[in-house]
Amino acid sequence: MTCAVYGIGNILLGDDGVGPAVVRFLESRGALPPDVILEDLGTPSLDLPTYLTGHDLVVFIDAVACDDAPGTLRNFSRAELIAASPGIRISPHEPSVSDALIVLDFAGGAPRDVVMVGVVPQTLDGGMNLSPDVARAVPFAADAVIAELAKRGVIWQ
Amino acid sequence: MSRIVIDPITRIEGHLRIDVEVDGGSVQKAWASSTMFRGIERILVGRDPREAWLFTQRFCGVCTTVHALASVRAVEDALSLEIPMNAQYIRNLILIAHALHDHIVHFYHLSALDWVDVTQVLSADPVKASQIAESLSDWPNNSAKEMAAVKNRVKGLVDSGQLGPFAHGYWGHPAMKLPPEVNLIAVAHYLQALEYQRYANQVVAILGGKTPHIQNVAVGGVANAINLASEATLNVDRLYQMKSLLDKVISFVQNVYVPDVCTVAGFYPDWFSYGSGVTNYLSVPDLPLDTKSTTYDLPGGFIRGGDLATYKPITGQKDEYWRKAVTEDSAHAWYNGSGALHPWKGETEPNPSEWDADGKYSWVKAPRFEGQVAQVGPLANVLVGYAAGNPLMKKWTDAALAKISSIAKVSATPAMLHSTLGRHGARAVRTAVLSELATKHWQLLTDNIVKGDSAIFNPPTFPKGEIEGVGFHEAPRGTLSHWVVIDDGKIKNYQAVVPTTWNASPRDSDGSPGPYEASLLHNPIADAKHPLEVLRTVHSFDPCMACAVHMFDPTGNNVARVKVL
Repeated sequence: MTCAVYGIGNILLGDDGVGPAVVRFLESRGALPPDVILEDLGTPSLDLPTYLTGHDLVVFIDAVACDDAPGTLRNFSRAELIAASPGIRISPHEPSVSDALIVLDFAGGAPRDVVMVGVVPQTLDGGMNLSPDVARAVPFAADAVIAELAKRGVIWQ
Repeated sequence: MSRIVIDPITRIEGHLRIDVEVDGGSVQKAWASSTMFRGIERILVGRDPREAWLFTQRFCGVCTTVHALASVRAVEDALSLEIPMNAQYIRNLILIAHALHDHIVHFYHLSALDWVDVTQVLSADPVKASQIAESLSDWPNNSAKEMAAVKNRVKGLVDSGQLGPFAHGYWGHPAMKLPPEVNLIAVAHYLQALEYQRYANQVVAILGGKTPHIQNVAVGGVANAINLASEATLNVDRLYQMKSLLDKVISFVQNVYVPDVCTVAGFYPDWFSYGSGVTNYLSVPDLPLDTKSTTYDLPGGFIRGGDLATYKPITGQKDEYWRKAVTEDSAHAWYNGSGALHPWKGETEPNPSEWDADGKYSWVKAPRFEGQVAQVGPLANVLVGYAAGNPLMKKWTDAALAKISSIAKVSATPAMLHSTLGRHGARAVRTAVLSELATKHWQLLTDNIVKGDSAIFNPPTFPKGEIEGVGFHEAPRGTLSHWVVIDDGKIKNYQAVVPTTWNASPRDSDGSPGPYEASLLHNPIADAKHPLEVLRTVHSFDPCMACAVHMFDPTGNNVARVKVL
């Protein structure tokens, strides 16, 4: 099984950079299992299908626009991501993630298994630092990624 | 009279709002605005100029390489630093591969659905579709079997009650005119385009180390170690791997993308008479051919009033004509100050207020060239190249016009390019030109390496005191320039004047509208609730607001909302 762990978000926009921050945290942990790709994808939008094609499992880490307190973790399944097409706010980058899956479901090559580990941001104002509550959530989001992989038999020691 | 508000319009990240007043079935007034401030450039102040590119490539997730390269060019310009020939060629190949990828994606995955009615595919005859496609080019993937498979796939989608990736289209709109078979060809190529744009992206990854954020750029050159005999460096294997990927993309561009644009255009000849708007065109030279960036493969310059005879060349980043002509005006933008400022003196002090059609209504400043509003993008690039007598631009423009003429049974002329469809046609022409230049620059790089040159980097040194530089790049969406002021080796001011800022510009102090605003005037509107025509014209510019205003709306609905007031 090949799988990809992708942080999504803009590191110049405050807490929008939480996805990339979790990727950096996971990188520093080392011992990445074989067949797992770990990457900060930034804000790829329409280019996202390119990075999804051919993987069995994709785990996203992204800032999500929910009413919960900043730093709260919320996971979304593949079905929830696709269902959230127009109107429902799951993520600031939601059209890219859901659009990419919908395009690949039609064209072929879509990952069968997709999960998003979402972190609720406090501010998306320009700046390169995470706000304190979101920064504290980073190791927990990393643990959530590792747990999602473990559920599928991918063990990250 | 009715008022239509479309907010936001682009499916790429970033929010653009378009307001149009419709009377008697056509647009009478238009406003383009962007709805949120980010002020990303301010993050760069005080930083080491050698690292600026790492941050600027995060301006926009779609144009990462573009902002990385404009940034290192700006710092090198401030230092008057030459870069080795290998570095120029490697950068050029990255820029070409990115542009091939970007233009293919724009047409098939962003704007083709403005012209293609997917639901019509169900009544298409696959055999007839195959015959039409095979009459247009030698592309091997146009068989009746292929067309039948695509038709079945669309039928499956429709039968499921969901239109999947096509759910947001204006299906059955009276402005849709393609025969069913041409709609089928377009959907077949939409699917193939997904595969071929990926090959172009792989070329960027080979040279850049990875995508979307390339790793190989440096102020002074590139970080691609070159050793033909080493596995870990740019070697013969990697060069030929790139060549094979580029050859596939080149074939797709010349045999699929260009014929498709000409065919769609041939069925919508009316759209050569809508959407001209601003006919001053600005383009900068690109694909430098020497270490000092004094000669280029693609010419730059300025054209006034749509008259190619007025073409005035821009010879390079050091050209004083270029360096002095650019200003940004904030008379109708939510910033302090109202006068026109040169980017090196540029200020980014936000001062928001209510949206006001007669006052301030956008976060985009109004860039001007010699005080004039200017359109940028592939159309500007092609017209400037045509006016300069560039042989490749002439060859592909004339070929495209001949193809459109034969399909539309009209005599297509370069004057028709000042239009909504002209922008699509010009983008296809530019892509074809770049596809030929991809082979050329691959050969230039390979020959240079084979002859024994492995230099990739000249180290920069920063003087005491203040220096200024500008780096430009003719990006997929048009003229991009990064303007940097460096004081004692630290960034003092940084302004990015991006293509969408030129095109989505609001009115200026003189009340002159920007290119989007002007291009929408007199566009027909068949159905105010479904303003497909507005989308056609705005999409033809390939808008990307993410970097234009550096904004992001966490609470916004990311799919276009249309309100009729």
